Amino acid sequence: MNSRRIEIHLYGALRSLVPDSRPDEDTVLRLDSISNETFGGLVARLGLKPSDLGDCFIDGTLAKPSSLIPEGARIGLFPFNMVLLCGGQHLKGHGYTHTDVDVDYY
Amino acid sequence: MSKILRVNMNDLSFKWEKVKPEQEQLAGRAFTSTIVSTEVDPTCHPLRERNKFVVSPGLLAGTSAPSSGRLSVGAKSPLTSGIKESNAGGITATKLGRIGVKGIIIEGAPPKGTTDWYIIHVGKDKAEILKKNDYAGIGCYEMIAKAWKDFPSKPGVIGCGVAGQRLMKAAGIFGNNIENNDPGRYAGRGGIGAVLGSKHVVAIISEDTGGAVPTAKDKTLFESGRKALAKALDTQAVTGVLKDPQGKPFGALKNYGTAVLINILNEAGGLPTRAFSAGRFENAAKVSGEAIHELVDKTKAKFGDKAEGKYGHPCHVGCIMACSNAVPYENTGKMHVSPLEYETTWSLGPNLGIDVLQDIAELNRLCNDLGLDTIETGNTLAMLMESGMIKFGDGPAAIAALKEAYNPKSYLGRLVSSGASSAGHVLGVTRIPVVKGQSLPAYDPRPIRGIGVTYATTPMGADHTSGYTIAAEILGIKGKVTDPRELKKADLSRAFQATTAYIDSTGYCLFIAFAVLDIDEGFKGMTDSVDAFLGKKIDVTEYGMKVLKAERDFNKRAGFTERDDRLPEFFRTEKLPPHNVTFDVSDGDIDAVYKGT
Repeated sequence: MNSRRIEIHLYGALRSLVPDSRPDEDTVLRLDSISNETFGGLVARLGLKPSDLGDCFIDGTLAKPSSLIPEGARIGLFPFNMVLLCGGQHLKGHGYTHTDVDVDYY
Repeated sequence: MSKILRVNMNDLSFKWEKVKPEQEQLAGRAFTSTIVSTEVDPTCHPLRERNKFVVSPGLLAGTSAPSSGRLSVGAKSPLTSGIKESNAGGITATKLGRIGVKGIIIEGAPPKGTTDWYIIHVGKDKAEILKKNDYAGIGCYEMIAKAWKDFPSKPGVIGCGVAGQRLMKAAGIFGNNIENNDPGRYAGRGGIGAVLGSKHVVAIISEDTGGAVPTAKDKTLFESGRKALAKALDTQAVTGVLKDPQGKPFGALKNYGTAVLINILNEAGGLPTRAFSAGRFENAAKVSGEAIHELVDKTKAKFGDKAEGKYGHPCHVGCIMACSNAVPYENTGKMHVSPLEYETTWSLGPNLGIDVLQDIAELNRLCNDLGLDTIETGNTLAMLMESGMIKFGDGPAAIAALKEAYNPKSYLGRLVSSGASSAGHVLGVTRIPVVKGQSLPAYDPRPIRGIGVTYATTPMGADHTSGYTIAAEILGIKGKVTDPRELKKADLSRAFQATTAYIDSTGYCLFIAFAVLDIDEGFKGMTDSVDAFLGKKIDVTEYGMKVLKAERDFNKRAGFTERDDRLPEFFRTEKLPPHNVTFDVSDGDIDAVYKGT
């Protein structure tokens, strides 16, 4: 993909950001990359609130509001009711589903 | 629960025993592991007469506490050669709880050469051992239908399928579901089905006619506790109700089942793909919880009242989280299999490179019918693919290989029922994903190292539920430890293994952890309900650690050492894309988990 763009993979209720999306296929929104944009900034750009979101990822790493989004990044955006059930709880502490953003369980 | 049924298969006798004072607080995993650790010689052959098969409903089974109907089974495992506990939903725990049975211990074995098969029939103040050769050698779907025909009270049925009857190491213990249309409530892990088969017992039938709901010692506290927990479960976004007031999907488990994790782990880069060779599967969306939800809705729209697909389906009476489902055939709307859960979807799907939901459902149905653990069987099929016998992604070939397991004379059938370790070694595979002989579940330990420490150190062999990681947060945030940042990795792993052991003993489903993590009143509701039932305040960590110590001690006496607490070499040497990381936790850190305990 164009490294100046970012690729946002949407899940659950957030798929509605892409018209005619289906829940059994990849739903991908491609946007221009903005230099030094944070994850929190991207969430605002999409018109979403932190409370709309569950666990989200930037290139496979759990996203925090202050995380910078590199050019060409793959973003995984999950709604509030989609979170790691087990086996990944140590990744929590991102400030969306829990408030203590500094906790790193592993 | 006031009595224990002890069955001796040497002479087909049984006796009722009173619960001893030191057993009063034991139930579920605490009961099975205590019995196995105190009564079974750790050096015995797991499939001969000196091993024991133990069943125990969770402490609150049969009560009105929400989501508290889990059943534990335990024995020395033929897969790991160590102690094993495995638990499941279904209806047996509730039945046993309501007739006051704390546990069933099956010991001995009929004389060598015996060709007869038996069932154990348990009711209020009665038990019998019945010869039932017509229950053996048939599929589990047929067996549960036969049981409800023979016993019209709609009893709980658990047992072993043909895999267990043939002493195969991947054999699990099946359980019938509420509707009795699927034997898919599996205490699957550890090959425990083969232990029951070695006793020549095909099924345990439990009836609760004349029984009663167990009562708590402190009824007022119990009522307030269970209500607080139920409220927390209903209002939390993962465990909550199906739809919000606006009619939009709310609770993740009810809507998408545990397979909601497929997309999440895929994005996290931790979804083991093609035998743990990548952390992301390109077609994950096709086999996700959302895809199952869509299939159910589509068949409902097409077939109306005749459609049998479901989500938001409870695995046992009184479960309000209802993460189970019934997956329909796309072309008829009839039920194909129930449930299709995350671990199974993964083991028989992305793990094999299979992206056709109907193929995964068929593999699951076959496992349920044969009496096989889906995690172990998926990893075993992966060994066939890793060795080049079957191509990755070839669903029909995997189905054909698994169908061979029906044929008692088929070498391939025996191989696919033998577990990943046996199959991998036979087939010359050097990347065999097992710890203590048991194959890994659906979280790659390279990007998710915390679960890797649990795989390595749990007495159970590689098992995600033994150290359900969320428990670390429960302890860290709401338990004695106020700040989890003060805990080291080893302390965390030990802490969540202990908490898991406590929950496994209460009868509560582990998934209540979500609500009790997020909602203070829910956590208090959980502990209040347990304390009120027993009439005694229980220390969660102390209770869990006692269970773990008994299990670790058994394994030590069986010959296990720290060298058995290791992941296979390839996790340390092969980088996993997309993160390109290896499992780099030091042996010292791993050994610290139980050092000094």
